Amino acid sequence: MASIFRSEEMRLCQLFLSSEASYNCVSELGEIGLVQFRDLNPDINPFQRKFVNEVRRCDEMERILNYLEAQIKEVEIEVLDDGDNPEAPQPREMVNLEATFEKLESELREVNSNANTLDRNFLELTELKQVLESAKLFLSQEADATASLTQNLIGNDDAKNEPQQLSFVAGVIPREKLAMFERMLWRVSRGNAFLRQHDIETELKDPTTGRMVRKSVYLIFFQGEKLRLKVKKICEGCRSTLYPCPDTAADRAEMLAGVKSRLADLNTVLSETSDHRQRVLVASAKHLRSWLIKVRKIKAIYHTLNMFNVDVTNKCLIGEGWVPFADLVKIKEALRLGTEKSGSSVEPILNVMQTPMAPPTYHRTNKFTHGFQNLIDAYGVATYREVNPGLYACATFPFLFAVMFGDVGHGIIMFLAAFYMVINEKKLGPKLANSEIMRMMFGGRYIILLMSLFSMYTGFIYNDFFSKAVNVFGSSWHIGPLAEKAVVEDHETTYMLSPNDRDDYIGYSYPMGLDPMWQISLNRIAFQNSYKMKISIIIGVVHMLFGVALSIFNHAFYRKYVNIYCEFIPQVVFLMSLFGYLCFLVLFKWFNYGDGPEFDDDHGSYCAPSVLITFINMMLNKEDPPPPNCNTVFMFSGQKFFQQVLVIMAILSVPTLLIPKPFILKHQHKKKMLMGPPLTQVLIDDHAAASGSTTSLVTDGNAASESPKGKAASEAGGGGHHGEEEFEFSEVFIHQGIHTIEYVLGSVSHTASYLRLWALSLAHNQLSEVLWMMVLKIGLQSDSSTGAVMLYLIFAAWAFLTVAILVLMEGLSAFLHTLRLHWVEFCSKFYYAEGYIFEPFTFKSILNPEPED
Amino acid sequence: MLDSLFNIDCGYLEGLVRGFRNGILRQTDYLNLVQCETLDDLKLHLQSTDYGNFLANEPSPLQVSVIDDKLREKLVIEFQHLRNHAVEPLATFMDYITYGYMIDNIVLLITGALHQRPISELMPKCHPLGTFDQIEAINVANTSVELYNAVLVDTPLAEFFGECVSEQDLDELNIEIIRNTLYKAYLESFYNYCKGLGGTTADVMCPILAFEADRRAFIITVNSFGTELTKEDRAKLYPTCGRLYPDGLAALARADDPENVKQVAEFYTEYRALFEGAGNNPGEKTLEDKFFEYEVKLNVNAFMQQFHCGVFYSYLRLKEQECRNVVWIAECIAQKHRAKIDNYIPIL
Repeated sequence: MASIFRSEEMRLCQLFLSSEASYNCVSELGEIGLVQFRDLNPDINPFQRKFVNEVRRCDEMERILNYLEAQIKEVEIEVLDDGDNPEAPQPREMVNLEATFEKLESELREVNSNANTLDRNFLELTELKQVLESAKLFLSQEADATASLTQNLIGNDDAKNEPQQLSFVAGVIPREKLAMFERMLWRVSRGNAFLRQHDIETELKDPTTGRMVRKSVYLIFFQGEKLRLKVKKICEGCRSTLYPCPDTAADRAEMLAGVKSRLADLNTVLSETSDHRQRVLVASAKHLRSWLIKVRKIKAIYHTLNMFNVDVTNKCLIGEGWVPFADLVKIKEALRLGTEKSGSSVEPILNVMQTPMAPPTYHRTNKFTHGFQNLIDAYGVATYREVNPGLYACATFPFLFAVMFGDVGHGIIMFLAAFYMVINEKKLGPKLANSEIMRMMFGGRYIILLMSLFSMYTGFIYNDFFSKAVNVFGSSWHIGPLAEKAVVEDHETTYMLSPNDRDDYIGYSYPMGLDPMWQISLNRIAFQNSYKMKISIIIGVVHMLFGVALSIFNHAFYRKYVNIYCEFIPQVVFLMSLFGYLCFLVLFKWFNYGDGPEFDDDHGSYCAPSVLITFINMMLNKEDPPPPNCNTVFMFSGQKFFQQVLVIMAILSVPTLLIPKPFILKHQHKKKMLMGPPLTQVLIDDHAAASGSTTSLVTDGNAASESPKGKAASEAGGGGHHGEEEFEFSEVFIHQGIHTIEYVLGSVSHTASYLRLWALSLAHNQLSEVLWMMVLKIGLQSDSSTGAVMLYLIFAAWAFLTVAILVLMEGLSAFLHTLRLHWVEFCSKFYYAEGYIFEPFTFKSILNPEPED
Repeated sequence: MLDSLFNIDCGYLEGLVRGFRNGILRQTDYLNLVQCETLDDLKLHLQSTDYGNFLANEPSPLQVSVIDDKLREKLVIEFQHLRNHAVEPLATFMDYITYGYMIDNIVLLITGALHQRPISELMPKCHPLGTFDQIEAINVANTSVELYNAVLVDTPLAEFFGECVSEQDLDELNIEIIRNTLYKAYLESFYNYCKGLGGTTADVMCPILAFEADRRAFIITVNSFGTELTKEDRAKLYPTCGRLYPDGLAALARADDPENVKQVAEFYTEYRALFEGAGNNPGEKTLEDKFFEYEVKLNVNAFMQQFHCGVFYSYLRLKEQECRNVVWIAECIAQKHRAKIDNYIPIL
């Protein structure tokens, strides 16, 4: 589909919906999710809009459903999620829903309040039971069961004294309040009250909060009526409950028996109540999800309708919204369906409007391109109908990543992880939605898959498999009889192999990738550095050139031909004459120089000129003397003149980039002013008049015949019209100056920036080698039987470190560097990113509240 | 405290409180609120502010008292969250803020007990920031000595109570005297604490507390006219940490009628302005509102400086003012009394 190259063509449409059909039509549009409605009453308060009452009713229903959900969660019933997607109910069904919900709520509230009362009773009885049992414990010293507890403790030997009555109260108090309670009691009674307490072992349920609390039973003994009042007040103040406790043991025993039987009765009632509650909740849990979806859909529809204008006759609603041009048919179909459902006879009218407003950017993506598009959108949303870098990122992104992450082994690990996610995506999707990190990884599963495949390829080229080389095709190098023994160190002999000697070197190179012999050579790093550095520069220049080349499509599309001559061409000339030539030198040297019998002296390794020095001398216009025994420092004849031409071209392209464009723009502007009101304005008026007069179903007679170019032209015209009053020469000039400086300096620094490909690749390679040498090798070296056990453990450590550091951390770092190379080095060459994203009205977000990425 | 070290302990909380402060309703919000026709409109509009869904779970015919409770609940949750994360000296500072509410609660409960109201009925009316363990046992006390010995001795308020211990039975006048004596001691202690902290905290908090002290002095004086409070007793109630101390307070102690109070205020530029525009006629703002406006101004200014504890106090005060405003507007809407709906105090 074309929209991957550029964003979809959008149209601003006006919808005329009859009042009775509007609800169904919007509902259908929500199901297909292709229209972004504009708010036509931005200055009206939310509570003054037309459908505020309906929204409020939905709020009320949602509140009840939330209450239900909380209740269901409390008893840990699973809410049925069958994944179905009920349609938004008709407005008249709302009343039924409301009635159902209200009935449910009142039923549930009643059950709850009953349960609460029962709980309270139960608590009181349990506490009373505890009090009575504890009282028995406290007063067990009582010799005579029939004797009164309040009898004097000291024998009543002095008969003249009034018998001092000792009274007591009993109660229950939360354990954490006990200390404060005791202290207060002591203060108020001045030490004249005596408190005994006993902890209740079991936890008791607090009926108001539903939490379990620990409590203590206490008995307070004191004398006198005044003190009794005070003690009681304190007991009340500390939220303790007082319980009647008979004086004599017999009464207590009797009461205890009564309480126990009542408790037993209460238990059966309680269990019945909770059963009933459970039944109600289970029944509602079955429907809860579909109810929630329905209510949210209704609410979303009314929210959207609130953005509509009301016609003067009050018979129809007028809405405006952006739609993708390609989907007009689908939208019409949805509108027809909506009208049919509502049974209205009035056809809805869809008008395509002309507007100077910038349309939103809409890239149609699938699950594969979605991740890549997201990476680009994170940098900036493309200007409407701009060349979309997301498409190219699908290939370049994994490739640049792989250049830094080249290792077959690590690639395989990554591939397995990504492959697992891809084949199980349906199952894993909802599971991983809750964890943010996993969701991110999962959203990028196709990126990871592609990155791993590419890393396996580059790993093969680098001949790296967990930092070891693999000898697939047979090395081209052998230690011949004449191989020169160089150094002997630690009893290891080092040989110097020469490509000249056909015993050492078989005469042709390893078919693909690096020769495995490099793995064990001493100058491996030096060779790889030179190779990877040059490769990175070549890749970088190609990548940037590609970016610059893409800009021509933008210029041509927006008909800014000035930009082609004054920006695109000098940019290409500048880039190619300097860095393009550098790449040419690298390739030229690779092909024409070397060691061995097929190269003559001038093309031998001794006389090969340094590319770097050649390039520097080219810039400084200097010539070094050739090394002794060599004829020249140049690679081909006429190179000096060619280089001078290139430098002059590069220098000339800078003023070309800087100066002409502002003057041309000024000239064009003047011409436009002379011509009077711009033509396009009239054109737009014509369109408006035409679309206003046609009242057919869809006035696409005008719109469909319009080519995208015409649209773009009117767009540009509109832009010019806007800029008319504001054309400021100095501003344009300064802008162009900044642009020029940015490009010229940018090409230097961006080329250097691509060297990170080399640096990270080197780091990755070295790290994995260190891990091999320092960890796994230790396990492999031991030759006793304990070595087997050691290897077992050391392998675990090596495997863990490989995954954690080399795959995860290094992978993340390479990923970030790739991202930077795309955002800064690539996108800056052509990507304006001044658009805003298309956010259609859709029910999808209602179905899955968690966004996928 | 060095400013640079402030963030080690309190930087997170200060950031938090500044974030909360940005959620305070603005003039445009008030303009929208006063246009509401019903309380449900009000709820709908508050949903679009920082209050979010705080009323979402309330059944629909909304009561003003419910709104009030929920507003306060939200504020208390925020404050307690801050308090739970605070370390010294901010922790003590925030505790000091709550003492004021404790005093109000005690007085409320004793007055209620005098009128034979059960404690359980009064408890919901107490401010949740000012509750403490022993508070419900407060009706044990019949005299202030008992009050002190039984209830307050374990609370942080004990140190403020020194002056009002007497064997007299508690009655209306007594309670008012206790409240004001307590408050005087509390304000002075808070003032000294802030001064002891020094630095920006002192710079910000001292003017605010000084104003609070002066406001109390003015209000005590104005309210005492026509009661049995003697001038000597009255003079004892003035907090002495304000700008009126000592000359202004001495003059206030001699005052006989509101005109005298106004004359005292003449000597102080900031208070003169407050008294000048004040009146009870329609179209004029009451003295109370004028004081509130000035307080809001001081508290808003507290946010102009960084690295000090004053923002916590100021945030609470501003938020309380906002609650009063919202409740006022809600009250006006509920009673269809739209003429006075604009009498809220805007927070800039």
